Amino acid sequence: MTESEKNLKSERIPPVISQSKISTEANQTGTWRFLRPGYDEKTAPCSAACPAGEDIGRIEMLAAKGDLDGAWETILGENPFPAVCGRVCFHPCEGVCNRGEFDSAIAIHGLERFIGDAGIRKKLSAPVPRHTKVSKRIAVAGAGPAGLSAAYFLARIGYGCDIFEAAPEPGGLLRWGIPQYRLPAAVLAAEIDRIESIGVKIHCNSPIHEGRLEGLQRDYDGLFVGCGEGRPIPLKIPGEELALDGLDFLRQMRQGKETCNGVRTAAVIGGGNTAIDVSRSLLRMGAKKVLLIYRRRREDMPAFAQEVELAIQEGVELVELRAPVRIERKDRDCRLILGPMRAEGTAQDGRARILPADGEEESLDVQSLYRAIGAEPAADWLRPSQKGDVERFSRSRIYYDQFPIIFGGDLTNPTKSVADAIGSGKEAAMLFDTLFAEGREAIHDRLQQCRVGQGKSLSMEMYLSGRRKTRNKEEVPFERINTEHFTKAPRQNTPLPGPAHVIGSFAETEKSFSEGAAQKEAERCFNCGICNDCDNCRLFCPEVSVNLSDPRTCEAAGLNRQIDYQYCKGCGICVVECPRDAMSLTEETTPL
Amino acid sequence: MSRTAETIDTAELMYPGHVGCPGCGATIAMKLALRALGEKTMLVIPACCWAIIAGPHPQTSLKVPVLHTAFATAGAAASGLRAALDRQGDTETTVVAWAGDGGTFDIGFQALSGAVERNEDFLYVCYDNEAYMNTGNQRSSATPFGMRTTTTPGTNWKRSRKKNIVEALAAHRIPYAATASIAYPEDLMRKFEKAKAMKGGSRFLHVFATCPTGWRVPSEMCVSIARLAVQTNIFPLYEVEDGNRYTLNFKGEKPVSEYLKPQGRFKHLTQADMKEIQEMVDEDWELLMRKIGLDPCG
Amino acid sequence: MKEVIEGSHAVSEAVRMARVQVMSAYPITPQTHIVEALSEYCADGRMEASFICVESEHSAMAACIGASSGGVRTFTASSSHGLALMHELLHWASAARLPIVMAEVNRALGPGWNIWMDQTDSLSQRDTGWIQLYCEDGQEVFDTTLQAFRLAETVNLPVMVVLDAFFLSHTYEPVDLPDQETADRFLPPFVPNIRLEHENPCAMSQMAPPGHYMEMRHAIQGAMETVFETFSEIEADFDAVFGRKYGMLEAVECEDAEVILVVTGTAASTCRQVVADLRKKGERIGMVKLKMFRPFPLEAIRETLGGARKIAVLDRNFSFGASGIFAQEIRAALCNHPGHPQVFGYIGGLGGRDITTDTLETIYRMTKESPEPARESVWVGLKEEE
Repeated sequence: MTESEKNLKSERIPPVISQSKISTEANQTGTWRFLRPGYDEKTAPCSAACPAGEDIGRIEMLAAKGDLDGAWETILGENPFPAVCGRVCFHPCEGVCNRGEFDSAIAIHGLERFIGDAGIRKKLSAPVPRHTKVSKRIAVAGAGPAGLSAAYFLARIGYGCDIFEAAPEPGGLLRWGIPQYRLPAAVLAAEIDRIESIGVKIHCNSPIHEGRLEGLQRDYDGLFVGCGEGRPIPLKIPGEELALDGLDFLRQMRQGKETCNGVRTAAVIGGGNTAIDVSRSLLRMGAKKVLLIYRRRREDMPAFAQEVELAIQEGVELVELRAPVRIERKDRDCRLILGPMRAEGTAQDGRARILPADGEEESLDVQSLYRAIGAEPAADWLRPSQKGDVERFSRSRIYYDQFPIIFGGDLTNPTKSVADAIGSGKEAAMLFDTLFAEGREAIHDRLQQCRVGQGKSLSMEMYLSGRRKTRNKEEVPFERINTEHFTKAPRQNTPLPGPAHVIGSFAETEKSFSEGAAQKEAERCFNCGICNDCDNCRLFCPEVSVNLSDPRTCEAAGLNRQIDYQYCKGCGICVVECPRDAMSLTEETTPL
Repeated sequence: MSRTAETIDTAELMYPGHVGCPGCGATIAMKLALRALGEKTMLVIPACCWAIIAGPHPQTSLKVPVLHTAFATAGAAASGLRAALDRQGDTETTVVAWAGDGGTFDIGFQALSGAVERNEDFLYVCYDNEAYMNTGNQRSSATPFGMRTTTTPGTNWKRSRKKNIVEALAAHRIPYAATASIAYPEDLMRKFEKAKAMKGGSRFLHVFATCPTGWRVPSEMCVSIARLAVQTNIFPLYEVEDGNRYTLNFKGEKPVSEYLKPQGRFKHLTQADMKEIQEMVDEDWELLMRKIGLDPCG
Repeated sequence: MKEVIEGSHAVSEAVRMARVQVMSAYPITPQTHIVEALSEYCADGRMEASFICVESEHSAMAACIGASSGGVRTFTASSSHGLALMHELLHWASAARLPIVMAEVNRALGPGWNIWMDQTDSLSQRDTGWIQLYCEDGQEVFDTTLQAFRLAETVNLPVMVVLDAFFLSHTYEPVDLPDQETADRFLPPFVPNIRLEHENPCAMSQMAPPGHYMEMRHAIQGAMETVFETFSEIEADFDAVFGRKYGMLEAVECEDAEVILVVTGTAASTCRQVVADLRKKGERIGMVKLKMFRPFPLEAIRETLGGARKIAVLDRNFSFGASGIFAQEIRAALCNHPGHPQVFGYIGGLGGRDITTDTLETIYRMTKESPEPARESVWVGLKEEE
């Protein structure tokens, strides 16, 4: 600039024109608002359906982001057995998966196994949320899924726990009742080891019987009883003694004591999971033909539908509406006499009433015959009576006393599954802790606070006021998913070998996902009700009023975004464009 | 959904506190556009909703320089600004004319046509809310067939078709003309980035921007309605390079009634009217497919 | 060095020497020679400038607004219908306080189509906030154009340099053209007061609500009021470099004049002859050539004309339903002046009709012989049959 230019410039006064000097941040446009959008994390239907109350939407979100450790830890918060459940759970979660209405349900079950296996492979250690020790000690009867879970959850929150198991090895039904082709022993061992690693002591060959109760009262502050049902229910027909016990068969098989050499035809009586396991095991052990005899129809079976399907695929022949009448010895075979049945109307349990039908009896000659129509507690004291100061909960029953006893697992669960057993163990842990810390009056409200959605399932995360404690109990229906933000994608399925591979092999039937397939599948998850940082709210906000935030100071704990209500006009676009119903629009009541 | 907070540039070039109506699509368009364009941008804004949203004296709602200008002049004023920057050796700055449909389809069309015929080195953006919304919803030549406005009221709802502005611009054989929608942010931002990179000639983007106030739809439906416009092919997403190379970005499948029915501005339409509109949409689609070189039915 | 060039090229030469950076125009007779020359200068490199050939005058002014806001020296030229089409943006340019310079070739408006001299086009833009300077000959056109940039850039208002169609735009005269160095000495490079820039990214020319608008308008008038002093300073500088000056108005033989003719543009040259001729015959005739119309040089008018007896104003324009526009303004300027003279208004030379020495003599005599103005405007030179 020359001297004359400088003079010229300095002489000038900036003209008064229409020109900005400040930003529109001076305008508190939040005062326009009559509707208030906000982050409102809700409950995914899968979580509510999960008897263990797993935060499935979050697990899949973390898995989709490649954070397998995070996903695994999230499972461990609610369930000590991801690798086990990823194999044996009947996964009611998938049945209610919202994605099922869009294309097909997320393979939650397979993903859980993938994540659980990764945890074992990487030797991850279980997270311990409450580091302060509690002076109370709890004894646990039975090292099955319920007892192990109760001890796991109690130990995590600081209790001293000893498990007393009658069998020489822990695991209960998981070890003795489920064949290796469904649950390899190494997987079970790894998950039990982990429970022990947080301080749970397991005493095997040490059955709890009534006579030991007095002694336990001296050393412990409470007892959890989760011994399961070890005594088979009899058929109550002539020749009953000719049929072998199915559970016993499975147990013997796990110990390597059973063979099926020379069995042309085997029959299994029953319709539950044990009947299926026995049938499928018989095929693997060389039985040429396996008949599954059931007095009701396939749809009435208490066995999990997908297990039934697998059994049939493998070659098990289902004989429906036939009831065993008697069993006779025929040379070296057994002759099973079957009476025809018919379905009519609806009984109290919702299934059809089954009545004897007209028609001829049939006879069936088999080389081996098993009964698997159910089990009952092995001892009378294990049948929790209604007498005394007893209170029933969803998955357990508590006897209040100086020495409180909680019955759980199959003893009290309406649905007898591994996941229900885990849920029962968790419920018991919460019951003990609340009872000791706050008294029995607090129990009801405390459990209600921890319900996952509207159902029975409980969340330890919520119990311990974790990040996800604020999640709304409202379950996200499919209609509230903004499917425009998703594209249809085929479900990744775990590879299944054909039936040809079944004979003689106890190798695991189902294979796990590859890492790529697992991530792809996890990415399919809607993450119903959970903010997964998709950023739509911020992307579409016309007001530049959705900001990234410090998760520690954000209004909703742990969220990465916050709404600046100084400016938000309440248009509601963020709520509608939230793909997963993790936001809500409510009437504005707070003045700015 | 691979978009995460980490992958998105967090610096918005727009301030909160602007006076746009709640749910204004045009403000979403600006926000997304500036994300793609970056701070080396100068905006020329003629009379339109954005002349208000950008803030009255002494405020601004934008972090980039803005030249407000008279209604008909976006194309010309942007040409002048471009020339001034070039003269000063600034070829980096993207000059962006940001006009509504009135300032583009109607009163500003001559200046726009002149500027793009000269192949001025700028990006012209028409955010289209399909009527003179700033003045209270009077019809423009961007107003679609069937819409009621304050100047096409009652039974005199608009009986002529919407002007096809992208085809008009493509006919100028400019390097780049494309449509974009606020409901497809990635596509929109990609197009802005592409347009920004194509320096040296005229680029035109026709951005569909819902006006909840004028269209009589709930503000929260702003983006959904824009999405339906694409999904029903009433507003196809496509690009034209050099006026002759067409690329389709999205193929809609839904009937146009799904788009029309939720909107108050089309409330009066009968089944027969909607059928007529569907036929127009189909006809336009076929024409577009022919230009793209695709089978309209395939 | 003196060159014989037409008035249009006096403009284009001045624009070239002003080192204008961006020009934009739309062709209209009789402005075309200006923009043709400038286009050539851009093409052959004599000017380092962009010439934006827009599709209308509206866009021409818009492009100038855009360019000027971008911080460069900016020029346009127009005429008549073109200027009328620009009208909206003339307001815009001045309120945006952009120092745009325009050459305006006075031409009539249709219908009927008429491409010839008439002042109604520029005077219709009286209230747009532009400075208006009327020129008499080629030299004044060159000089005024060069001065216009300094004036505009100092007060931040646009300037219209007005020249008569054909009588000036297409008439060859000797014009003293300086070399570039001398021109640069008078006119330094443009240093914008207002400019879009990334360093201070603000919005310009946006909505001004009632709480702000009036002050902005008042500031424009404030700037207009500084023009007289600034113009005089610039003229003094110009005089120092070039040895020429014009003044906002020029009085010729006014001291003892019985009748003073007020004229503008090329009519002033004719009038000089009439004054000289009639003076020789003993007539007490004087002349005022009005150069600056906006801002209206009220004080100078009062000083020069306040003491006269009779004033005859020649308007080559007309405000329908009222009178000639210059006459109106002069009447208004003098009405509060004690003992103000009688103002006689004459309309002549519309649509290119010649103003001859006879016309002006007739006006002088009619004024001298009338005891008082019979009417606001007397149309001279009308044909009986029409």
